[in-house]
Amino acid sequence: MHCFQYDNSPYPIRGGLASAHKVYWQALARPGTWFSGAERVAIAAEVRNAVNCPLCAERKMALSPNSVDGEHLCGTLLTPIAVNAVHRVITDQSRITQAFIDESVAQGLSEEQYVELVGIAVTVFSIDEFNRALGLPLEPLPEPEAGEPTCYRPTLAHRGTGFVSMLPANGAVGEEADLWKLDRTANVLRALTLVPNAVREWMAVGDEQYLSMKGMGQFTDFPDRALNRMQIELVAGRVSSYNECFY
Amino acid sequence: MLSLSADITESDVNLQMVNGDYSATVGDVAYATALMKFAEALAGRDETDLASARAALLEEAGANVLVDAAGVAANFQRMVRIADSTGIPLDERNAALADSAIKELGLSRFDSARNTPPGGLKRKLMRLIARPMAIRMLRKLS
Repeated sequence: MHCFQYDNSPYPIRGGLASAHKVYWQALARPGTWFSGAERVAIAAEVRNAVNCPLCAERKMALSPNSVDGEHLCGTLLTPIAVNAVHRVITDQSRITQAFIDESVAQGLSEEQYVELVGIAVTVFSIDEFNRALGLPLEPLPEPEAGEPTCYRPTLAHRGTGFVSMLPANGAVGEEADLWKLDRTANVLRALTLVPNAVREWMAVGDEQYLSMKGMGQFTDFPDRALNRMQIELVAGRVSSYNECFY
Repeated sequence: MLSLSADITESDVNLQMVNGDYSATVGDVAYATALMKFAEALAGRDETDLASARAALLEEAGANVLVDAAGVAANFQRMVRIADSTGIPLDERNAALADSAIKELGLSRFDSARNTPPGGLKRKLMRLIARPMAIRMLRKLS
């Protein structure tokens, strides 16, 4: 797949970043766990529609997003409930509630599909945001590949933390043993484990955009980065605070 | 994590930078003002502000800093959405480590704070014990 060459970038892009983005684009095009390749690419397209969606802009300004009716700026492949979920994740995530997810599930978007959808939406968004941050054009979306989703659900995933089922902190065993090494981990790593590949995919991008798990234990300088840890955490903290994220 | 990094490296950092207070940028974080403006401009989605912040960071810190800052900012555009879309609470251990920063920055004002129950005696004790221990250990490792 010929993508993320960054040939026309006025700035030198680290090879690891370009490679991570390219690997993700390849995975995006393939059939996933609960969605086909075409549906996964359609979710990515909705990420781009969401940032220009007039309904989302109006809802974002409203006291309650549920008080504004209308139609999203969207494609035709996904169901309206899936479109609504992608748009909410991208434009108004801090007001997502358990009730919003339960209602989506009641209308036909399974909990597993919601989790895979979140994984695709946020990972595509972070790659698009990298390009936008540097004033680079967005990468064209990949051509979807044929095939069926695996429908794999980790047996240890259950409700109890947050809004969706996830692996327990000591649940990285068996097929999921690669997700983390100890019998404890941060909730943000557990968050999408109902679809383990969603975690693997965002973590591979995160290793390059931010830090690897090993790098997170280091608090001074990094040989392959131009920012030291305090500068990294200042940018991270300011983006999180601007987005009103408590976590 | 900014607070922890500052403590481990014994650096002078005013956490109010996280809340966008430009008077707090005096300290040991190089290019702090330009980094803050760049992060805000990306999250704020104003393309004029972003172009201006990008040019300022490039001029002040160079292309490699700009590219790495773009990566980190983009990464956290993702992380906040994972956390909020799944309603995860702050981990008990991390909450203990971050308790003082949460209070100092007033982070409980955010809607998503509702996903983390208020800490009790256990968290207070963990804060008193765990944070100094973690700082000592991470300082040695670093």
